[in-house]
Amino acid sequence: MSAPVQMKLEGFSGSREQIVRNVAEALAGLYAESPDQAKPSPYMGGRKAALAALEKFSVQGYANTRNKLQGNVSRLSFFIRHGVLGLREVAESVRERFGRSYDAVKFWQELGWRQFWRRVYARLGNRIYEDLEPAKVNLGGHFPEELPEDIQKGKTGLVCMDESVRELVETGYLHNHARMWFASFVIHFRKLGWKTGERFFYRHLLDGDPASNALSWQWVASTFSHRPYIFNRENIQENGGKKWCERCQAKCPFDSTYPELERRLFSL
Amino acid sequence: MKTLVWLHGDSLSERDPAAMKYPEAVRVFVFDRPFLEKAGLSFKRLFFLYECAVEAAHEIRLGETADELREAMRERGVERLAVTESASPRWRECLAALQKEVEVEVVPAVDLVDVPGEYEAKRFTPFWKKFGKEWGA
Repeated sequence: MSAPVQMKLEGFSGSREQIVRNVAEALAGLYAESPDQAKPSPYMGGRKAALAALEKFSVQGYANTRNKLQGNVSRLSFFIRHGVLGLREVAESVRERFGRSYDAVKFWQELGWRQFWRRVYARLGNRIYEDLEPAKVNLGGHFPEELPEDIQKGKTGLVCMDESVRELVETGYLHNHARMWFASFVIHFRKLGWKTGERFFYRHLLDGDPASNALSWQWVASTFSHRPYIFNRENIQENGGKKWCERCQAKCPFDSTYPELERRLFSL
Repeated sequence: MKTLVWLHGDSLSERDPAAMKYPEAVRVFVFDRPFLEKAGLSFKRLFFLYECAVEAAHEIRLGETADELREAMRERGVERLAVTESASPRWRECLAALQKEVEVEVVPAVDLVDVPGEYEAKRFTPFWKKFGKEWGA
């Protein structure tokens, strides 16, 4: 057994920028970018930031707006994923401040998903990285190891997808609905399988949790659900607004009814 | 017996259940080199973890987790480790390596709902209907 590396990292001080440089140097070779490209997320880690975000979060309007990109979502997921805030702690904070409202019940249900994923993970371990059930539709069969460049670099020409990638890569966060659209695009519209996209999200999401991430990708694919998740342009405009579509020059692959999309995507 | 608390990426808070049980204990977080070498995470993720760890832990180390924890214990003459339970296979691997040599107390995580150990979670809706009553299910 080799001697443990003696490296202690808690002593850095100075501005956030200075600490970023120190940490980037100390962990060089252990992250995807080169050290000179290492940038932090605008979202700060730590319990102080977590408690401030929790205190600021009002659950009012959550149930009816959570699917909208501009809706009232908590953005607590990265703190919850790393145990900086406990599931019960967050749920109780909402109960103390807002009582048992319709919004609170919906929010608690979403917290319940986190425990559900952990539970499945405890049972299955690394089997979460294999199809848990046969796919209910044709997913294609030639899956690359990595996402193609045009998707990873946000250069597909589809503004909705490219902007989602930009936000993910720059901030480490993406609204849940944008995650679902992107996953469905990768799996069903581009037929690239779910594993490449799963790895891409896990690499970038501050709340990247093996179980929640892999099993959500499988949920979209239909290998951990009764049916695949697909979306259309109307869904994007209803929940994301029209700003993306107004800027988009591409021929929209999402501009169809659901029966048409199902025929086109799954009839092969 | 002196105890050292092992904080990991699923429980990175000074309110970690193991830390709450041993409030006087030194808390150590390790950037697990074998895991990071394979995972290829973005720097943003590592820096976010770093910012969480700086507030939660007394010491942040880099290396193979079990080796680093044994070394942190040796430096302080500590004989026992306490850690909060995780579902992660890599955590279990580190735990198993440590348990061969030192006493480790695994403290249960604080869950949202109580679920019996034998329950097999397969679909969310029946899971939540059965266990989510306290939270309006």
